[in-house]
Amino acid sequence: MERLIIVVAVLPLISALLIQLFAGRIGHSISRVSVAATTISFLLACLLLWMALKGAGPQLLPLGNATAILLFDPLSVLLATIILGISLIVHLYSVRYMAEEAAYGQFFVLLDLMTAALLFMVIAGDLITLLIAWYLVGVLLYFLLGQDTRSQTAYRFSFWTLITYRIGDLPLIFAAALLYNAYGTWSLTAIFAEIMVNPDTHQFMGLPLTEVVAALIGLAAFARSAQFLLHTWLPYTMDGPTPVSALMHAGIVNAGGFLINRFAPVFVHSGDVLNVIFIVGLITAIFGSLLMLTQNDIKKALGYSTMGQMGFMVMECGIGAFSLAIYHLFAHGVFKGTMFLSAGGVINNARDDDGIPKDELYTFAVEKRPNKVRTPWLLMAAITLAVPLVILIFSHLLIAQDYFHKQGAIILLFFGWVTGAQLIFATYRMRTQNVWRLVGLSVLSLVVVVLGYAVISHAFDVFLYPDPVFRAQLYSAASIELLRFDVLVVIITLIIVSGWVVTYYADESGYRHQKSKHLWFNFYALISREFYIIDIYTRLARLLLAISGRLNVWLRWL
Amino acid sequence: MTDSLIILLAGFFLPLFPMSMVFNGILDKIEHSWLRVLLFLTWPLIGLFIVFSSHVMLPGWLLPLALSTSALYALRILSLREVNQWSGFLATSLWSLLWLPMMQATPAVLLLGYAISMSVPLVLLLLLSAGLERRFGAAYTGLYGGLAWTIPRFSGVLVIVIMAAIATPLFPTFFIMLDLVIESVSATPLVAMVLLLIWLLWSWAGARLIQGLIVGRGSGVNIVDLGMTAISLYTLVLILLAVGGIYLSGVIL
Repeated sequence: MERLIIVVAVLPLISALLIQLFAGRIGHSISRVSVAATTISFLLACLLLWMALKGAGPQLLPLGNATAILLFDPLSVLLATIILGISLIVHLYSVRYMAEEAAYGQFFVLLDLMTAALLFMVIAGDLITLLIAWYLVGVLLYFLLGQDTRSQTAYRFSFWTLITYRIGDLPLIFAAALLYNAYGTWSLTAIFAEIMVNPDTHQFMGLPLTEVVAALIGLAAFARSAQFLLHTWLPYTMDGPTPVSALMHAGIVNAGGFLINRFAPVFVHSGDVLNVIFIVGLITAIFGSLLMLTQNDIKKALGYSTMGQMGFMVMECGIGAFSLAIYHLFAHGVFKGTMFLSAGGVINNARDDDGIPKDELYTFAVEKRPNKVRTPWLLMAAITLAVPLVILIFSHLLIAQDYFHKQGAIILLFFGWVTGAQLIFATYRMRTQNVWRLVGLSVLSLVVVVLGYAVISHAFDVFLYPDPVFRAQLYSAASIELLRFDVLVVIITLIIVSGWVVTYYADESGYRHQKSKHLWFNFYALISREFYIIDIYTRLARLLLAISGRLNVWLRWL
Repeated sequence: MTDSLIILLAGFFLPLFPMSMVFNGILDKIEHSWLRVLLFLTWPLIGLFIVFSSHVMLPGWLLPLALSTSALYALRILSLREVNQWSGFLATSLWSLLWLPMMQATPAVLLLGYAISMSVPLVLLLLLSAGLERRFGAAYTGLYGGLAWTIPRFSGVLVIVIMAAIATPLFPTFFIMLDLVIESVSATPLVAMVLLLIWLLWSWAGARLIQGLIVGRGSGVNIVDLGMTAISLYTLVLILLAVGGIYLSGVIL
């Protein structure tokens, strides 16, 4: 029965082949083939997920006598279901959305090939299949984003995507070569089994092989998930068709989180790398959110929002909460996919009526006119800081008593607290007739979010990593020395609280201080140029092309 | 002394800089497309024949020279716009890497397979280039563009052929590159890194070539697209290449 996973992955390939062969004769009805294949694949994946939930697998499925092995395990089945779910929605949406495009059939061929590549990527049980699928995802995305071949801009930015993805492929290939040389097999399961028994057997240039491989895998994940310095492609790929944007932001960009999870048995022996991953994720989350808030173009803002979310996802991996990253990529995928697919409808409706009620929320969020009438400050601050913390502590105590021994959990609580506090802080500044009702609703919504998060996180943990010892090892690997950790938490708390206080007084004084105004303008200029990162990359690319041209002139084009 | 002379001679055919300039010079002079095809198919085989028939000992300095030749031409392809020249430079970059497995005592039959696998996509590209010259008078990027719009079948084949040439899975060059990286990664990691960078440059150059030819609004003039027979033949060769790649992966990996 587990072999059905092969059918799940092959069906989109068959669909692509059929469309390529018959698109010219059947016309637009050919999209039905694609939708039908994706639907059947999705239903089969749901069946397999149900089996996995009932305890089936893990199982290796070799393809004939070849090196290629597919893997039926909780991670592969869960992600295959998510990919097919999102892909099915994108397919259904595209049937009418792409109807006026000239290369209608070609679009569905590419969409099916992309779905197949993503499926093979998540169910790959060997390094070769993983490498091929990983590589092809980048190539197919390049052509999907450049679906409109008349648009130079679309291709310019899809090229950025391709080249970043190719840069990300290199460390993965390097890591695969190192693993194969050390363990003499391409099978991921066999490699991981050996690493679990003897993690320190092999070395590379004087360093433990697991650490080197983990670092390389991390780099590959950074490029795919638009982490800071490898993020420039993401906000600029909005010239592709909307369904492709939805698929990219909801599915493809999450591949980094998947890769880190797939190599969890390597990362469990690479604590230092996990710490670096956390820092990179943190920087990405901060920069992504910062850039999102300052964009005038709503699509670029959505792109940077995805970047920020990817930062959070990678950060979760960095603190050892691997399964939470999978939940995050699923939740973010659904959320962001919905946003992209509904964008066209919203724009269309807005032509007649912007549909925005000019209420308190509008005046606060859009017109930036906070309410001057405030409730007692001290009481609100106390609620702001204390309530989320209390809820988080209780929710974790209910689920796992030993949660506070894990630094990862504390960081998650910390971010829950920050998010919750910001929610109430922002809400409190809005005008309302009944303050207590407002606070009550805010607290209730927070309870739902926090409890939901804690329960779901726990459920994902148990499903994806059923071995409690391994789960504990992951958290332990991600932890740092206690004193350093406590100092860091205190410093970050002080920074955040100071930020809130500065924002509060800036609002109060109406940004009247000339000196700070100048400073803020400079800072804003820096952000509006996206920290000049794109300019630097463009300069470097032009320099390389100039060197290439100069060499050709010197060598007389021979 | 004799060994060095033989290697120097082989360096014209399995290109080593500066002897590599001879191949590109000859290619530049040839007008007829079928002669170009013949040149691409025979040139590296002559080099392999010279090395294997002479049983020459390959010295260590060949490795950096072969790698730098490959890297130099990979970098130089970035600024090329003429398709035949582009194919010649890529061929130089690819064939020079054949020295690496040769130094690791790879069997002659396998090396022959490597050389043919590297050449076939480039031969297809030369034929397509001849098709462009017939239709537009020149095979030049950025000159007319918009081929995806004006001749969609032709551009579809062109894109896949370029992908095959720049070592995209499942084509043989992908597995050859993977094998080269695996063979060098533990003993000489620097070589593996340079190989990966060369691979990256090929991708960059390939994307530039694709964009320069297929993207744009086109000339608006009615141009004859590729016929069904030609499409079938190109598809057949590409399928054979992909199958060959999968087979090769079973042999070398």
